[in-house]
Amino acid sequence: MTSESASTPGIDGDYEALISTTDVELLKRAWRNEKAAPEILHFESALIQRIRGQIQLMEETVEEFSGSGIDPLSVSLYQMDLDRTQYLLRSYLRIRLQKIEKYTFHISNNSEVQSRLSGQEKGFARRCNEDLERHLEESVLSKLPDNYRDILKQSLISEENDMVPEPHLDTFVVCKSRRFLGPFQLDGSDELLEMKPDDLCIIHYKSIRERVQEGEIDLV
Amino acid sequence: MYGRKAFQLVKELASGEKGQLTPYNSDLFDQVTAECSQHHLELQSLIRKIQEEGLDVQTTRNSEHYGSLIHHLSLVRNKRCLMAYVYNRAEIIRSLIWKVGPVLPQEIQERLSHTEEEYFKRHSAALQSYMSRLDLDLTVDMVPPKDPYIQVRVLDDIGVVLSDDKTTNFARHSMHFLKRTDAEQFISRGLMEELTD
Repeated sequence: MTSESASTPGIDGDYEALISTTDVELLKRAWRNEKAAPEILHFESALIQRIRGQIQLMEETVEEFSGSGIDPLSVSLYQMDLDRTQYLLRSYLRIRLQKIEKYTFHISNNSEVQSRLSGQEKGFARRCNEDLERHLEESVLSKLPDNYRDILKQSLISEENDMVPEPHLDTFVVCKSRRFLGPFQLDGSDELLEMKPDDLCIIHYKSIRERVQEGEIDLV
Repeated sequence: MYGRKAFQLVKELASGEKGQLTPYNSDLFDQVTAECSQHHLELQSLIRKIQEEGLDVQTTRNSEHYGSLIHHLSLVRNKRCLMAYVYNRAEIIRSLIWKVGPVLPQEIQERLSHTEEEYFKRHSAALQSYMSRLDLDLTVDMVPPKDPYIQVRVLDDIGVVLSDDKTTNFARHSMHFLKRTDAEQFISRGLMEELTD
């Protein structure tokens, strides 16, 4: 008896660790991060590929089950699970598209950001950029005097691109750490921060940006 | 006063309901671009004046210089306002693709300028080609699913429909308890509405 009850927490812990690394959990995490981050994050290409395979498998299973007279309740549970995964996937891709639409000029001028997109997203970003450029060109810029026609600069004498909407990296986000993070320096300030797992923190996105990208900190 | 008209244009944008388009104000827009050309003319004539006096345009700090500076800054400000007007409207136009789909109803279409209509068409085509290359329709599943079954009311006579293994008669005004995936296609076509408590 005693040995059994002693081993239970271990099994539970393993089970939780196992659950938290299923692809659906990983997708949920990627989706949450993408949703809360002001800028576009790296495309989770391997994960998305696996998820799409799994969705297909699940669809086949549900179809097979509903044809073969298996208990309708369990079929509907499978269906519900499938629906949720599909929602996560679609929403994840949608949020990314909306960020691409919003920051199209910023993305097209910045190869580091471009490297975070999937191949298809890059194609979309390019078209997005062309379309918006053309639209602004025809509606506004062609009607202005010559020296004021640049789309990225206010006028010819601007030294840098001063008309590009960029994501606000110093917005606040709610985040938590996945594991214990010893005192670390916040990017862009000399303050030190220590995070325990599951501690909620409200902080400038900018200062934990790299840790989010490395997967040490999750946004909520 | 310089810049007043551009300010009105942006204000129109800001005071409109969020996510809703106001009719494209081409009148005011053209007045602002005309103001821009006027600024440019005056700017050039001031600069010519400086040059005629044999002074260096870069370093001279006389009344002509400051006059031209005012015209330049007013022009830049007008440009920012015009760009903001078109840019923010473009943002709303893009959101419409998600909300109402690739074909705009007449009453919205009337509020767009000609180039905006073009932009809407081009952008939905871009989105469409992304989705077909991805082989996934992203316009469904807009809200997180709660229950696989939902209660719906039929808005138009759909008639008898075969789903799974049974036939259902979707007569107008009748209410049904359906699988969400089955109902969604009718809802997006405006033939059914979801009943919520």
